[in-house]
Amino acid sequence: MNTDETTAGHLQELRRGTVVLACLVRLRTPDYGYALLESLNALGILVDANTLYPLLRRLEKQGLLTSEWNTDEARPRKFYRTSPTGVELADTLMTDWRRIDDALAGLTDGDES
Amino acid sequence: MTANTLTDRYVWAAARSVPEAQRDELERELRERIGDASDALVEQGRTPADAEHAALTALGDPAALAAEYVGRPLQLIGPRYFLVWWRLLKFLLAVVLPIAVAAVTLGQLLSGADVDEVIGSAVAGAFSIAVHLGFWTTLVFAILERTPAAAGQRGIDLEWKPEMLPQIAEDGRTNRLVDLVASLVLLGIFGVLLVMQQFGLPWVDALSSMPLLDPALWSFWLPYFLVLIVLEAAFAVAVYLRGWTWGLAGANLVLGAAWVVPGLWLYATGQLFNPAALEAVGWPWGDAGEVIAPIAVVVVIAGAAWDVIEGFIKAARSQQRITAA
Repeated sequence: MNTDETTAGHLQELRRGTVVLACLVRLRTPDYGYALLESLNALGILVDANTLYPLLRRLEKQGLLTSEWNTDEARPRKFYRTSPTGVELADTLMTDWRRIDDALAGLTDGDES
Repeated sequence: MTANTLTDRYVWAAARSVPEAQRDELERELRERIGDASDALVEQGRTPADAEHAALTALGDPAALAAEYVGRPLQLIGPRYFLVWWRLLKFLLAVVLPIAVAAVTLGQLLSGADVDEVIGSAVAGAFSIAVHLGFWTTLVFAILERTPAAAGQRGIDLEWKPEMLPQIAEDGRTNRLVDLVASLVLLGIFGVLLVMQQFGLPWVDALSSMPLLDPALWSFWLPYFLVLIVLEAAFAVAVYLRGWTWGLAGANLVLGAAWVVPGLWLYATGQLFNPAALEAVGWPWGDAGEVIAPIAVVVVIAGAAWDVIEGFIKAARSQQRITAA
């Protein structure tokens, strides 16, 4: 049980930054909170609503996302879109993600040989 | 459906604790979020009321949500100030509390209170001073925690530097702890004796209800000696904390002189002892008085001188250790 908790904690830490990256990439097409949550979870990027909504607001505050209220439907919804700064950051994060992946792959290969 | 749905109540509870300017935005965001979450649950076959309830449960306490929304801390004192708060509190409790309790006790003694009354007010005073120190210190830091620091500033917390590392407690410190405890106990006993003798010395028959020292000394000299005892106690703590230094050895000289000079002067001018008490014990004891009195004076002077010299020797030794290290 304790091991499960430790595993869960480490997984959460490992995934934390990837949710930011996923949002920045996914929101190059504007979308609202719940639709984003659904689509990320459908892709296997598991994220909780209580994490995602505050995250969106934080990214907006940092100027990485812009938002706009859509009042066409009965329920007004806040649509988020990745800003140019956000796109730049996404590129940087993605490059780093690939570099880490290569490095880890190198480590694993080293183990096997 | 009642006029106010659970959603209305939730939104109101969350919005009322955020600043006016952010309220509308938060309300709209929350309604979108709750609506979307309940709709999804209804699609899975839940009743609307049930879905709304579940969506709100998942959101959690509205006060916590609002606090996160505006970035308000949910702890009294966070990691930024905790260590500064903790160090200051320990310092105040270690320094202010004993001094204040000593002052309360001294005041009670001077006003001639009973021993149990003195102990009672010392304990009550210590408790209330400790509570005040804790409360006000914590209040100030809780306010600081909620005061945003100017951009690029760290607030009042000091940047930690390696120079702030404590000295490793050398063996000297354990020895000094023994010295400290011994000094404090002796000073305490001496202080109590100084006060108690006013009511007589129960173990000497002739003096069982008669002050040994001249009661006229209460007008100045006995309070003076009681203050000296408090200073000596503070001095003993300083020696324990910092080890013997030249400065402390000098202070020891001053303190020693502050005891011995007035004490001998009072004795020499016949003001020290209560004449009635001397008479009661039949002083001077024949020819013995002529011998005992000078010996006592020499012993007091020699003892005081040795204490002063010992202070300088210890200071010299610890300076040597520092240079050698």
